[in-house]
Amino acid sequence: MIAPRASLPRRILFVTLFFGAALCIAGVFGLSLGSSEGAFSEMLRAVMGQETADPMIGAIIWKIRLPRVLMAALVGGTLALGGLVFQALLRNPLAEPYILGISGGSAIGAIIGILMGLSRFPGVSLFAFLGSLSTLAVILLMASGKGMLKKDALLLSGVMINAFCGAVIMFLVSMTQDARLHNIIFWLMGDLSLIGLPQVGILAILLLPCFVLLFYLSHTMNLLLLGKEMAQTMGVNIVAATLTLLGVTSFTVSITVSHCGLLGFVGLVMPHLLRLALGADHRVLVPACLFGGGTYMILCDLLARSLPDQGEIPVGVITAMIGAPVFIFLLIQSKK
Amino acid sequence: MDFIGNNTRTGCVLPKEMDGDMIRQWAQKALSSICLAAAACSVGAHPETARAATDQLGREVRIPAQVRRIVSLAPSITEILFALGAGHRVKGVTRFSNFPPEAETLPKVGSYVHLDLEKIVALRPDLCIAVKDGNPKDVIDRLDHLGIPVYAVDPRNLQAVKDTILEIGALLDVMPDARRLVGEMDRRIRRITSKTAGVTHRPTVFFQIGISPIVSAGTDTFIHELITLSGGINLAQGPVPYPRFSREQILALSPEVFIITSMARGAIFERIRSEWRRWPQIPAVKKDRIHLIDSDLVDRASPRLVEGLEILARLIHPTLFRAAP
Repeated sequence: MIAPRASLPRRILFVTLFFGAALCIAGVFGLSLGSSEGAFSEMLRAVMGQETADPMIGAIIWKIRLPRVLMAALVGGTLALGGLVFQALLRNPLAEPYILGISGGSAIGAIIGILMGLSRFPGVSLFAFLGSLSTLAVILLMASGKGMLKKDALLLSGVMINAFCGAVIMFLVSMTQDARLHNIIFWLMGDLSLIGLPQVGILAILLLPCFVLLFYLSHTMNLLLLGKEMAQTMGVNIVAATLTLLGVTSFTVSITVSHCGLLGFVGLVMPHLLRLALGADHRVLVPACLFGGGTYMILCDLLARSLPDQGEIPVGVITAMIGAPVFIFLLIQSKK
Repeated sequence: MDFIGNNTRTGCVLPKEMDGDMIRQWAQKALSSICLAAAACSVGAHPETARAATDQLGREVRIPAQVRRIVSLAPSITEILFALGAGHRVKGVTRFSNFPPEAETLPKVGSYVHLDLEKIVALRPDLCIAVKDGNPKDVIDRLDHLGIPVYAVDPRNLQAVKDTILEIGALLDVMPDARRLVGEMDRRIRRITSKTAGVTHRPTVFFQIGISPIVSAGTDTFIHELITLSGGINLAQGPVPYPRFSREQILALSPEVFIITSMARGAIFERIRSEWRRWPQIPAVKKDRIHLIDSDLVDRASPRLVEGLEILARLIHPTLFRAAP
């Protein structure tokens, strides 16, 4: 797809521009289409900044769809990057915040926060982060044999933690008697429908520095992929790098989980697809995943809110329904 | 030339002789145009003709002088609006708004627990009516921010349903219809309670609303109130609104009447009935008193609760109401 001989800065620039443009195009579609009836051309004109006779169209585009589109871009980028980091650390294309139990842990924290009647931010987000940190701590404790992370042990303990988190979530949900139960179930399936602009602003402020940090660490990820000894001889402090990457990723993932619920397979499919297309250099993959994941999520959210006639379906259902078969297909292809 | 150059740099005309008053006027003009722009962005009521009302959650809501376009955010609200003869003003309903049949053809704005904000806004309502239980608070807040007034109700017993009907009647300027409707409900309720109030034997009732797990209704529900008014004893009474039961517990409770709601429809009801028939120790099974009732008549805060009461009373005290139509 991209000439391998091009110099690295040019490849990074090209990939950023390409996927940035894709993100913008997806964004325009996301703003112009939706569940309410209205001519696409008229919506498109309004999106392009022309005056509309009808204030209702403006309200729908700028106050309802815009926050969703921005949030989808942020969340998609976060989850794709999360998957990328975990796949690099574990050298395993199956790794993802969900498989490791990070998302499950933040979901437990967030549910406890919701049941305590806390506000979405900072209360529920804080609980979600604490939840993800505690699962991360348990995973690290279990997986650190002689103070060093073993990749199979890490993955296996993550799977176990995830199963445990699932049980705790079901326990909390079945113990809940009130009407908030319905909301929790929708939120568990992943939901972008109730995002407001202030929330998007807070998330952007929290997430953007993390994205920059991950890009800064992208070369370290390349070195970590070469193996423990190789990375050490290249001057990488493995424990510090691993902990930083895990910490930043669990922070970003828990923030998005507390706002949008569990959105599966984005972190699994996007990095894997992009790695197939672009090669394994993380300096290219980090911007590609950021923008590509955002694009993917905007399109999934668009499907979720425009497909059904009688009210939208949770976007997590869409991401899983697209993601799981694509992933199985990729797995079979790679086995051949 | 110099003057024009200045203009292009500052972007506005500011003659030297301008005094403080003029600046203040300009500022006011600018401010009011910002306000106008903000008002144009909001799609709801026009504040100059609106009146203030306090809803059942204590929220201040600005109701337009004439409510013409209502979006009902729950099936129970839809039923109340149609019963008040305001069906033509309802422009959107939620999924499962199946009564009256006309309501089924109206545009749907999602289910009442999962509302589609965009669809609600696109219907340009001048009033939304919400229920506290079920409608997510986030959606209500967002509608508020978009300038669409949302009147929330939270009726938890028959009296509150009647009050709610009167309140909505006042909002829509159909007070005579509301009074007539509530009066008719009162009359029908009294006809039942006048017979059931003095019964010597109050049969124990197990009201089953869920199949697996077996779920019943606690004290703070319409179902409990209707069973009590019908002259029965609700075996599931207690602080838990929807308690779960094991088969063993029900055998121990040995209810005299089983009532199963139509959430378990048709064939499923027959299956549940045949399952209970395996336990002839239970008095209700021995006397074949296992009945089906339309769940919409007993769990919706609508005028049709009275119909549910009449059916329940006939099921619990068949001899008392044999003559009744």
